Amino acid sequence: MTTTAQIPLTIIEPEKTSKRWRGLSRALVAYSFLIPWLIGFLGLTLGPTLASLYLSFTNFDLLQDPQVIGLANYQRIFTNDAKFWHSMQVTFTYVILAVPLKLAFALGLAMVLNRGIAGLPLYRALFYLPSLLGASVAIAVLWRQLFAKDGLVNVVLGFFGFAGPSWISDPSYSLYTLVLLSVWQFGSPMIIFLAGLRQIPPDVYEAASIDGANKVQQFIKITLPLLTPVVFFNFIVQTIDAFKAFTPAFIISEGTGGPIDSTLFYTLYLYQEGFAYFRMGYASALAWILLIIIACFTAFSFLTSRYWVHYND
Amino acid sequence: MTHDFDRRTLLKAALGSAGLAALGSVPAFAQDSRIRLYWWGSKERSDRTLKAVSLYQDRNAGVKIDGETLAWGDYWPRLATQAAGRNAPDLIQMDYRYVAEYARRGALLPLDEFVGKSLDISDFDKASLDSCKVDGKLYGINLGNNSNAMIYNKAAFQKAGVAEPIDVTWDKFFELAAAVTKAHNGEYYGTSDGSGEESPYENWLRQRGKALFTEDGKLGLDEKDATDWFAMWAKARETKACPPADLQALDKNNIETNLLTQGRAACAFNHSNQYVGYQVLNKNPLGITMYPQGAGPSPGHYLKPSMMWSIYARTKVAEPVVKFANFTVKDVEGAKLLGVERGVPASPKIREAVSADLDAMGKLVVDFISHVTPKVGPIPPAPPKGAGEIQTMLRRIAEQVSFGRVSVADGGKQYVSEAQAILSRA
Repeated sequence: MTTTAQIPLTIIEPEKTSKRWRGLSRALVAYSFLIPWLIGFLGLTLGPTLASLYLSFTNFDLLQDPQVIGLANYQRIFTNDAKFWHSMQVTFTYVILAVPLKLAFALGLAMVLNRGIAGLPLYRALFYLPSLLGASVAIAVLWRQLFAKDGLVNVVLGFFGFAGPSWISDPSYSLYTLVLLSVWQFGSPMIIFLAGLRQIPPDVYEAASIDGANKVQQFIKITLPLLTPVVFFNFIVQTIDAFKAFTPAFIISEGTGGPIDSTLFYTLYLYQEGFAYFRMGYASALAWILLIIIACFTAFSFLTSRYWVHYND
Repeated sequence: MTHDFDRRTLLKAALGSAGLAALGSVPAFAQDSRIRLYWWGSKERSDRTLKAVSLYQDRNAGVKIDGETLAWGDYWPRLATQAAGRNAPDLIQMDYRYVAEYARRGALLPLDEFVGKSLDISDFDKASLDSCKVDGKLYGINLGNNSNAMIYNKAAFQKAGVAEPIDVTWDKFFELAAAVTKAHNGEYYGTSDGSGEESPYENWLRQRGKALFTEDGKLGLDEKDATDWFAMWAKARETKACPPADLQALDKNNIETNLLTQGRAACAFNHSNQYVGYQVLNKNPLGITMYPQGAGPSPGHYLKPSMMWSIYARTKVAEPVVKFANFTVKDVEGAKLLGVERGVPASPKIREAVSADLDAMGKLVVDFISHVTPKVGPIPPAPPKGAGEIQTMLRRIAEQVSFGRVSVADGGKQYVSEAQAILSRA
């Protein structure tokens, strides 16, 4: 490499060309390494996404060629679709409950683990385990068993004299069992919190305790502010994940969103419209509305972040 | 050192290996045909199907059949997706509910040109052929006929000292079921709750001279019918003939989660061919009988193809596929392997041959069909678009009523208005 680069240096005009050539070749190397990802992104993400934008203005039914019908799908969604509003409500309830609970739980455990207890790597791995199993079918099936009428949860409650309902098949509770399933998968935010906690220099706490700050004050005045970038990151990632949640509801209700549509997540409704009722055009429009909601939410979070996220620089 | 790998040699090498790869994708024997076969159903069905496949492959060198199977709920989304990607399986197990939907959208191959040649179904009776036609063309090969059948746990009735619910009226049925629940101290119910299930609902409507849908695809019932239906089951829940809502909601509409299989209730509303699948999963001997009758003077039952083979319009191996399909319905050995698990064969000759060495389970199913045949009415017209959505909606409203979220009367009202909205949209 060095020898080939030196030869033109002496022959052609100096400096500029060589620099440009070097920059170009470096970019080429970079892009050639990116090719596998680029192919995936263009072919499997961007392409289908744009195709679904087009389909959202058609009456595509999977089997026949789509015909453009303008804004009819969107118009119906907003003016004449009770299930749209219902599934929105289910999804928002899920997001609003699951995300804060999960983050609080993850942070709490990260703080416990951060106190330098013996066997930390083991605990870390154990607590992370549910997140690895998380989206799997097996866990959703396990959940169904745990929260059934004669499931383990009710057996335990029975010891204390409570006769629990059939959590998973009672529309008053079924959504909350899914929230619990999500909270249980606190592993990945916990690991990130743990890394964030490690970044906080111990002398800050030392100074605070000399000044007489108690543990609660230290948490509110030191830990939380210094951790806000990590909280922000976890918050965004978890919220987007929660909006997109599909597998648990799909498996636990076997695709119906039941009982009585109590677990009809927005994504599940979208899936039913597209794949069960052959209304792929309509489903595409629903998908774009979800995309826009998530985009708005993320933009809003970033805009407000300057007021509550403290970067340590 | 001759390590001069310049660009040209590299290019040649690359082209060479690409060529090799291309060669590799050409089948070794040109007459080989690979068939993709797709069906839904229980493990019992898979075992039988794969046995028939392997016998056929042994007999026909050069034919390779790959099976794919899924549960009913996942089956249709996957088929629709594959059809959208123009990559559907060659031979598709098809349901009466969907055949018109797929045929009218051009996804299925009309089979008329094969009849009398590689497809020898001339001895099928007219009803068995007509039920596989859409707009006058044949799109399905009848895999066997079935009818509504109530499957019940004999031991539960015996233990309760109650008569088995054989050909009873609805009133008598709920009376017996309540007695069963009582004899089991309320921990085991006389029947599962059928209010959200389409087949008993349709059967009951037909007894009253109504239908789910009319010939021209409109709603075939009115508010009073729907309300009466929900009221009948609300009463059954009150007398504890059937379980409370949160127990019933565990049933996910398949054999495995049905309350009969789960050991929670003594009766399940199903189809005759599913008897085999149920018995395999149940320790207790099961009985099979007609749905309760007497909601009106008309017959509720009808014979229908429990399923059919349809062929994908874009298949490249139509002839081999037809031959294999023919093997399963007209070859004595092939048909024997499938037995009556997909319904009672439509060909009289095959029916006789299959019946001759059926096990006890199979005999019960054949006897049941002979028992029902003189009592059936005509098959209803192919369901209109949106029928699948209405079926899902029935279950939701039945749950709303059973959980006490809406009153019986409002449930009936809601059913009619939502069904009309779905039909007018489709």
